[in-house]
Amino acid sequence: MPQKYVSKIGHSLMLLLAAIWLVPLIWMTVTAFRSRQTALSGFWSADFTLDNFATVWSAAPFTVYYLNTLLIVFGVFAVQMLTATMAAFAFARVPFAGGGIVFLVFLAQIMIPADVLIFPNYNILKQFSLLDTKLGIMLPYLASSFGIFLLRQVFKTIPLELEEAALMEGCNRWQVLWKVYFPLSRPTYVAFALVSISYQWNNFLWPLIVTNSVENRPLTVGLSIFAQSFEVGVQWTEVSAATLLVIVPLLVIFLAFQRQFIDSFIHSGIK
Amino acid sequence: MRKWSTKVLAAALGLSLLAGCGGGSGNGNGTGSSNGKGDDAAASQGTAQTASAANGGKKTELTFYYPIAVGGPLTNTIEAMTADFEKEHPDIDVTPVYTGSYADTAVKTQAGVQAKQPPDVAVLQSTELFSLLDMTAIVPLDDFIAKEGNDYLADFYPAFMANSQTDGHTYSIPFQRSTIVLYYNKEMFKEAGLDPEKGPANWEEMQDYAIKLKKDGRHGLEIPVTGFAYWMMQTFALQNGENLMTQDGKKVMFDTPENVEGLQYWVDLAAKHKAMPEGVTDWSTVPSDFLEGKTAMMYHTTGNLTNVKKNATFDFGVSFLPAKKQYGSPTGGGNFYIFKDISPEKQQAAWEFVKFMTEPERAAQWSIDTGYVAVRKSAYETERMKKYAGEFPAALVARDQLEYAAAELSTHNNGKVMKILNDNVQAALTGTLSPAEALKKAQTEADQALASFNK
Repeated sequence: MPQKYVSKIGHSLMLLLAAIWLVPLIWMTVTAFRSRQTALSGFWSADFTLDNFATVWSAAPFTVYYLNTLLIVFGVFAVQMLTATMAAFAFARVPFAGGGIVFLVFLAQIMIPADVLIFPNYNILKQFSLLDTKLGIMLPYLASSFGIFLLRQVFKTIPLELEEAALMEGCNRWQVLWKVYFPLSRPTYVAFALVSISYQWNNFLWPLIVTNSVENRPLTVGLSIFAQSFEVGVQWTEVSAATLLVIVPLLVIFLAFQRQFIDSFIHSGIK
Repeated sequence: MRKWSTKVLAAALGLSLLAGCGGGSGNGNGTGSSNGKGDDAAASQGTAQTASAANGGKKTELTFYYPIAVGGPLTNTIEAMTADFEKEHPDIDVTPVYTGSYADTAVKTQAGVQAKQPPDVAVLQSTELFSLLDMTAIVPLDDFIAKEGNDYLADFYPAFMANSQTDGHTYSIPFQRSTIVLYYNKEMFKEAGLDPEKGPANWEEMQDYAIKLKKDGRHGLEIPVTGFAYWMMQTFALQNGENLMTQDGKKVMFDTPENVEGLQYWVDLAAKHKAMPEGVTDWSTVPSDFLEGKTAMMYHTTGNLTNVKKNATFDFGVSFLPAKKQYGSPTGGGNFYIFKDISPEKQQAAWEFVKFMTEPERAAQWSIDTGYVAVRKSAYETERMKKYAGEFPAALVARDQLEYAAAELSTHNNGKVMKILNDNVQAALTGTLSPAEALKKAQTEADQALASFNK
């Protein structure tokens, strides 16, 4: 049957893609534990060393960087969740004058790359005296037009009857939002969390530009000390070790959320 | 950095809006934190600023931006150097700020300049001169230099000063500088029956050597291309004739017959003689290829010397790049700049810092630690440098080649011009355009990019 073949081809294509995706990750992990001389020799060898990690760890205050990254990433996401939920609810269910136009303006903002806004944002932070603070790093990202768009689309699909029923039961709008819309949109929140967290985790240029002191800088700045060595060419072992250090927590979060992701789909499907 | 220029334009829109409301508050800031030398500060205002000056807080605070381009724990080295400086100058407080790559540093600096909160002193690429001038971000150093006496500048290698000077003013002091040299594998030279004590002296020999040295799984020579095609193109231009631009940064000379000949030679090494990998060779993998014996020779920066020395498992040599009409190589790397919108006291303190960081002993140590060429002649007279060079004569090759070195490509609208040359040289190397067509196209496009500066 042709359909059977199609699904087989589809599966093997996916496996192939997964394998391609895995290659750099595995290569990097292996390289991080190998000595410099054998790193690129191409043969699997038994030698194993933690020297690369020692070099990397001593070159930058990674503990501080870790804490900063965690604070920034989760701080931004927590506030984004609040602002995006409220805005999305307004756009989806609260008719107001000019709502369509305002929403269009929000949509247009998705198309502006964050890098373009570095100079104006820097200026604003300076006027607020927020340069070189963690709040300064977070501020431009506290509202997310992408999140608003995503949630608005989901809120629109939730049957009005549910809202009406909740109102009948004596809920006010605020309660309707957090007791009806919020729990029903859980998969979307998880998806948005993946996007937001990985973006903030990887963000490099903006934090580098607005901060000066070690106390306020995230992990990516520590990584860049090894990644940007254009004079000598790439130091593969050290770059790999540094990269591994930086991405391991993200990978763990990612895998954890992946399960959550699937679970929440099943959950909402049963209902 | 200039790949940002279009984005900057867009950002300028937003800025102009801000300027309306921010103008008033912005002014005070450049000078506000200066701690005045008592009398003028007292004369002007009796508020918070003088209070801080009065309670003995006579420290001048400097913010120092520095990029790292050689990888590894050099932030610690720089921090130790600034700590030494503070010991020697207890009235000056320096905050070193690591700012990523050269390009990141340039963006950060630009953001600061636009917000009227520039760093006080920064290491930026020597080729940033014209962009910084076009932003009116930096001050000429002539007065400071004059106070140090006539011999002060004479001690710096002229090739390194070439990117610092225009219109009779000096705007920057060299710090971490490099040139391109030839690295070669002595064991492979012996194996191919070549003299391992000498690199190829001229273009013909180079071609000959490269062909003899190649074999299965090994190239005779690698010349890195990605991002640095303009730099490598400069070697051929300088060896066969003149540099690619004028000292005032307003004109480029790309499509001369000499340059076409140079590019043709480069293209032929790969396409015709198969002695080099064809197409575009990646900048960052060339050193690994050399260290693993995948190429017998490579063109690379002297900034790589310490890396190769530490990691080569074979005997290697370093020599001048081969000559055509003469030897030649462009310089590269970063210089110290002092910024404009800061108080004179800070500028003076910044100058003390720049002077300290480039003192002969320190320049020698920095060179030994990194592989950069020490920027002053007297650095090579110091004991530690003599000792180092005695053990490792290759360290002197780059210095000796400086006699034939010239400025790195630096013009107004530099990012654009550099990209134009990079793209077209790559087009020639991949065979899309002939060398003559490529350079002609580069010339036309660059002339356009520079048109507004030639009115």
